[in-house]
Amino acid sequence: MPDWHERITDDTRPSIRAEHALRYAVAAPLIRASARWCDLGCGSGLAAADALGDAAYEGRALLVDRAAETAERAAAAVPARDAVALAADLADADGVAAVRAALADGDGPLCVTCLETIHQLADFAPLVALLSELAAEPGCSVVLSVPNDAYWSLEREHAATSWGEGAVEELRSLLPADQRVLHQVALAGSALLPAGERAEGSASFALAPGVPSHVVVAFGAGVEQLCAPAPAAAVAQADVEAQRRWERQRESDLLHSAAAIAALERRLAACETAPAAAPAEVSDAPAAGGQA
Amino acid sequence: MKVAFLLNDLQLSGGVGVVVQHARELALRHGHDVTLVLVREQEAAPWQFDGLAHLHVEGLDDARATRFDVAVATWWETVYSLFELDAERYVHFVQSLEDRFYERGTAERAAAETVLDLPVAFVTEARWIADTLARIRPEAPCLYVRNGIDKTVFDSPAQLDVRVEEPLRIVVEGNPDVWFKGVHEAIGCVAAMREPHRLTVVTGDASKVDAAAADRVVGPLTHREMARVYADSDVVLKLSRVEGMFGPPLEGFHMGATCVVAPVTGYDEYIEHGWNGLVVDWDDMEGTTRALDLLARDRRLLTFLRANALETARAWPTWEQSGTFMAAALERIRRDPPPTAYAGARQLAADQLLALDTQRHTMHARDEFRRLAKPALRLKRTGAWRVLRRLREHPRMQPVWTLLRPLTRRLRAKLTG
Repeated sequence: MPDWHERITDDTRPSIRAEHALRYAVAAPLIRASARWCDLGCGSGLAAADALGDAAYEGRALLVDRAAETAERAAAAVPARDAVALAADLADADGVAAVRAALADGDGPLCVTCLETIHQLADFAPLVALLSELAAEPGCSVVLSVPNDAYWSLEREHAATSWGEGAVEELRSLLPADQRVLHQVALAGSALLPAGERAEGSASFALAPGVPSHVVVAFGAGVEQLCAPAPAAAVAQADVEAQRRWERQRESDLLHSAAAIAALERRLAACETAPAAAPAEVSDAPAAGGQA
Repeated sequence: MKVAFLLNDLQLSGGVGVVVQHARELALRHGHDVTLVLVREQEAAPWQFDGLAHLHVEGLDDARATRFDVAVATWWETVYSLFELDAERYVHFVQSLEDRFYERGTAERAAAETVLDLPVAFVTEARWIADTLARIRPEAPCLYVRNGIDKTVFDSPAQLDVRVEEPLRIVVEGNPDVWFKGVHEAIGCVAAMREPHRLTVVTGDASKVDAAAADRVVGPLTHREMARVYADSDVVLKLSRVEGMFGPPLEGFHMGATCVVAPVTGYDEYIEHGWNGLVVDWDDMEGTTRALDLLARDRRLLTFLRANALETARAWPTWEQSGTFMAAALERIRRDPPPTAYAGARQLAADQLLALDTQRHTMHARDEFRRLAKPALRLKRTGAWRVLRRLREHPRMQPVWTLLRPLTRRLRAKLTG
């Protein structure tokens, strides 16, 4: 099954990549101003790498993901001179303790990003406690984000918990009081350009309060800089062909899976109704001696 | 972490159920050592809540010997026992502003108000309570933890069962003896409907409801039975005047029912008029009946509201998620320094003065009444009054008393002022 929704890969839908990259872009000035950066639930690191651009990050980056190879991929992707990968399960007190220990081994201002991670954890209490603890240290800033279930009509199979206005309120009541809350809203648009030509586009548009797709909460040192004085926006041209391919692939995968399940059910029914035929159906099984 | 939850008893009620759920989650999923401390002498056997087996249940005397990390009062009366326990931090879990359960001028009302002035951290399940506490106790820590829903019991259907031709299925739930539940008003609104409907009333004591007013009167029901009733209903009608987090319509949402409700505290946690339910005005019986008739007639609207109610329910947290927030809240309270002994002192002093004034006013009113009634009381002690009373009750004298009624009214008014 393709891991299409939560991990940002080169195949991720452009609008979702832009939305992930924007969150990192908003945090980028804080990251660059810090001697240490810890990205909790870093995934492949592509969105962070997009946001940080080509200029090298001079500090020390700690990239944390549940899967070791994903954390290593992120450490290779981000433009940091000193990038360290750490495999840790953030839903577990031991995993959070490993992060705490890794961060204790260093000093200087720290920026922690925890974007689109909390909702994937069945138990986020240890992580929330760690974030509050870190924010109390001088020179530390934390930027976290959660999706808004009221926006996403799609079932989010990776989400272990439900997030909406109420859950964000609950979370905020647990965090330090000096918070800056940003609502991420979706943009839709279109552009016209002479056929076959390349161009740099720019647009001015009005933004009003609406149903956010995500909520970003930042707290700690320097977070008042986030989206000040103007809101941040990112627009990416839709690659219609890639998007169509992506959607068709998903639909055909679903069709294929449904057909495969139906075939398996037919085989199962056949086995149940005609037990004598069963040995023929399992003729691929290894013989008693271990040889097929 | 060693946690104590203080309860009056373990009898079946929404509030006690919420506490048991949190305690169970803290014990089973977060590894805390949880004790339910019963502060009163128990007269009846406890209700068999799921998960009680994983918790210690103790009386106050036994619990006094234990050192707790966090002690949590869960009802205003239990706050009076909170500081009898030895704990690092004291918490008041506020499920409603409980003074509203009592009439004005009663001692309980004043007592339930003043417990909110004590130097404790607050945890509450509704935003309106958090907002109120932030206004009256701005310096007190207040953490917001919503109640979860047991989604194995209130197991939402994958698809809405759309009903277009049958009578509108309405469910009214609540204790008819409790004035603020509005059960009789709700039944009255349904009785006045013109469109075909079917009413189910769920109550702890069926004898308190006029059986002729409903198609079905059932109860008391377990949560699982309640879920089946909601699944078989189109609308939850609830006209309560006091609610904390307002759970019943939300349980109905999980089973695919919409709701018609008054704008009671807590409704705006999840109900949006015209999106997943209908919100009617206070005391607007005719308007409520019209809303129900509208849903019975307009099945497209009914289906829209029911579909959105189901969607709202899907985004509501489970008890597991809610328990995680409770664990995080108690952890934060333990980590942070406790409130100072002076926290809330100003509000406490003000509330004491107010209670004193109320008491003085009540005493004055009583003395004044006694003074006015004195001539009448003196008259009642005479032999002539006793003779008069016998004559008053004699059947043959009734026509005479009827003729004399204007005179006796004037005399009574004069005597009582």
